[in-house]
Amino acid sequence: MSMKLEDALAFTAGCFNGEPASCSYACPFHLDIRAFLEKAGKGKWTSAYKALESAVAFPLTVSLLCDAPCERYCQRLQLGDEPIAMTMIETAVIRYTGSKRARRYVIPPKEGRVAVVGAGAAGLSCALWLARKRISVTVFEREPGYGGTLRRHPRFTEIAEDIRLQFEAADAGFCFDREIKALGELEDYDAVYIATGAGGEHFGLLDGWDGDAFASGVDGVFLGGELTGVSAIGGMARGGEAARNIEAFLQVGRVAPLHGGYDKNGCERYVSHDGAARARRVAPSSPEGYTEDEARREAGRCLQCDCDRCMTSCEMLRAFRKRPHKIATEVYTDQNANPPYSSHTLTREAYSCNMCGYCKSVCPEGVDIGALLRLSRAERMNAGTEPAALHDFWLREMDFNSGEAALCAPPVGARTCEYVFFPGCQLGASNPEHVRGAYGMLRSGGADAGIYLGCCGAPAWWAGDDRRFMANMAAIRGNWEDLGKPVFVFACATCAGIFEAFAPDIAGVSLYEMLNDREIAGSAGAITRAAVFDPCSARARDGMRDAVRGLLGRSGVQTVELRETGRCCGYGGQMRVANPKLFDEIVTSRASMSDEPYIVYCANCREVFVSSGKRCAHALDVALGLEPQERVPSIGDKRKNTLALKGEFMASNLRVKPERAERAWDGLTLVIDGGLREDMDRRLISEDDIREAIFHAEESGDVFVDGEGTRMCSMVKPVLTYWARYRRVSRDAYEVLDAYYHRMRFESGTRDF
Amino acid sequence: MADMAGSYWRCARCDEALTARKTVFTYLGHSFTHETLRCPKCGRVLIPPELARGKMAEVEEQLEDK
Repeated sequence: MSMKLEDALAFTAGCFNGEPASCSYACPFHLDIRAFLEKAGKGKWTSAYKALESAVAFPLTVSLLCDAPCERYCQRLQLGDEPIAMTMIETAVIRYTGSKRARRYVIPPKEGRVAVVGAGAAGLSCALWLARKRISVTVFEREPGYGGTLRRHPRFTEIAEDIRLQFEAADAGFCFDREIKALGELEDYDAVYIATGAGGEHFGLLDGWDGDAFASGVDGVFLGGELTGVSAIGGMARGGEAARNIEAFLQVGRVAPLHGGYDKNGCERYVSHDGAARARRVAPSSPEGYTEDEARREAGRCLQCDCDRCMTSCEMLRAFRKRPHKIATEVYTDQNANPPYSSHTLTREAYSCNMCGYCKSVCPEGVDIGALLRLSRAERMNAGTEPAALHDFWLREMDFNSGEAALCAPPVGARTCEYVFFPGCQLGASNPEHVRGAYGMLRSGGADAGIYLGCCGAPAWWAGDDRRFMANMAAIRGNWEDLGKPVFVFACATCAGIFEAFAPDIAGVSLYEMLNDREIAGSAGAITRAAVFDPCSARARDGMRDAVRGLLGRSGVQTVELRETGRCCGYGGQMRVANPKLFDEIVTSRASMSDEPYIVYCANCREVFVSSGKRCAHALDVALGLEPQERVPSIGDKRKNTLALKGEFMASNLRVKPERAERAWDGLTLVIDGGLREDMDRRLISEDDIREAIFHAEESGDVFVDGEGTRMCSMVKPVLTYWARYRRVSRDAYEVLDAYYHRMRFESGTRDF
Repeated sequence: MADMAGSYWRCARCDEALTARKTVFTYLGHSFTHETLRCPKCGRVLIPPELARGKMAEVEEQLEDK
């Protein structure tokens, strides 16, 4: 069963990015005040005026009448500042806008005729909105001109000019000096809007009035404005809504309440402005109001309240510039894209995520974009439309670590144990001394501990390969039961997190806490002062974080705290193949968080930093008194390290001689120079794959030759096709000149020639 | 790489000089043709490194985003 749109949207349900700000909820016209002030802040008077005009219909009138309820909801108040001086900015915008000519849109006239009774604030507003939509409208007014109660306003001349200006671009008929005494006089009209003012004529319809739909008990007759008890500004503000209800009635012939476009009555979630600079309200230098510069500065005080924490905090979200709700929608559409006729718009982003949970940690509502993007990967994997090359390397490594290289062994002579040390797939691969030493320490401290070399399944989880992940977890569970359900001792916070989430009944403890509890003191070695770089997966693991600091302090390392912790080094989510440029950007950014060398306690963090040239040690280097390695072993050497450890533990714990099925190509010697080896490691090409390719090619004779001794061969693996350019050095020894791969497949053979 | 461009690559099995011929490529459900060096007898294809790292990688990335 494939995903529904709601499944994806559920991930971002808490996100309030893009929602109106509290001021806009308070505004009777629901003006987008943020956008208005942004324009005004840039001195774009015309564009600010247009925004005002399209929300309030009569900009000048509203600026004179409105008592600015928005100011009471301005989030400047959170900081103890005065709210933005909205009315004065409106006045300035109107004053500094050159041409206030209303726009006339070329749209076809609509069917239906509407009579508006009363040319006061509410009637005029409704009439204008109807006329803008090209609905034929006639306004009846018993007075000799429009305005209603507005006529008593001291600045009515300006108001009248504002009204005239707006009706210049919208065709409405006005019948002045014409009092409607009975509804029968309006029989020719399809709908009637009665806005006769406070205490005005309501033709006996006020009692059955439905305030939501403006409808009366008589079909097609609507009531609004001061007649219904609202203020002049209130009647004006709801004019657009009344017009929409009337339009809907004209279309479908019945009343159906249409709301103002907001699905909530008020602002429910506020962005916190902690740390924002306070700013005093700009005082006008003249009684006339703001100068252009003053208005710009005052509008510039707007905090532009909208939550974009995740988008500004995470490099990936910043790079792709998509809003959370949009990402959720695309997770759905991306999965439902059918090549070659539609586009996967999200693929690169989904596979570029570190899945480190940082977005969730900064989000006031705890929205986890990483989890959403993992869902995208899982859905694509399920549907068989995943770009397999992006995770092939790690899934193959996981298969190796969970298969050929895996070992689960109790302490020597025992069948079960109280603890089992689970170093994680990379610790021993990266530096086998860490596993040997840590296990030795556990044992010498008296822990009844077995050893479990294997993979927690994180690569499958990150790739969205849930089937592989669950199978791996089931195998782990079986081994755990065989060992008498020991407590897992984790050296890797990612493993610990995976177990907590998917095998909560398997008890776990971090190696660092065990070592710290025993008050182990190592030695600082060359790094005596360092910044602790906590892995992202230890963000919420205070016990682990504190234990590492305790261990380091006791060992004589002066630790420095980074201004921000819990950031991913770049390795998380295994996005490096999908987005090498972003990976480099993240690594560089993390490596430069401090000039101090780093001490990490994740083998992947260590590898990432050492590869980038950052001085870095693993906490176990300190605990075990080892000098930190300055290089990362090659992919091939990592596999060798892992297998060597397995052999050692088989001998020591199981008392069996390690037997390894020799593969035919194991005996082949490859000569690879340093530059090429680095390139291969960077591109994640293992020496073993190249060895296998050359072996098969030389055995079968499927080789290309250039007459000068250079040879070329290829090997097709399930996802990638590997190539080697090489030279024979001696029997069973080859010098590799180049190694590369491609993801495409080609049709070989004589067909399609 | 100058040494990759020439047609003096031979198929060791057929002992034939490779020639540029049409090859059908497929990736993520898309398929297209491009001329590559092939053995005229057995049809085996040679993909030089600059093609794999250049144009092919570029097209692969475009198709992943498609």
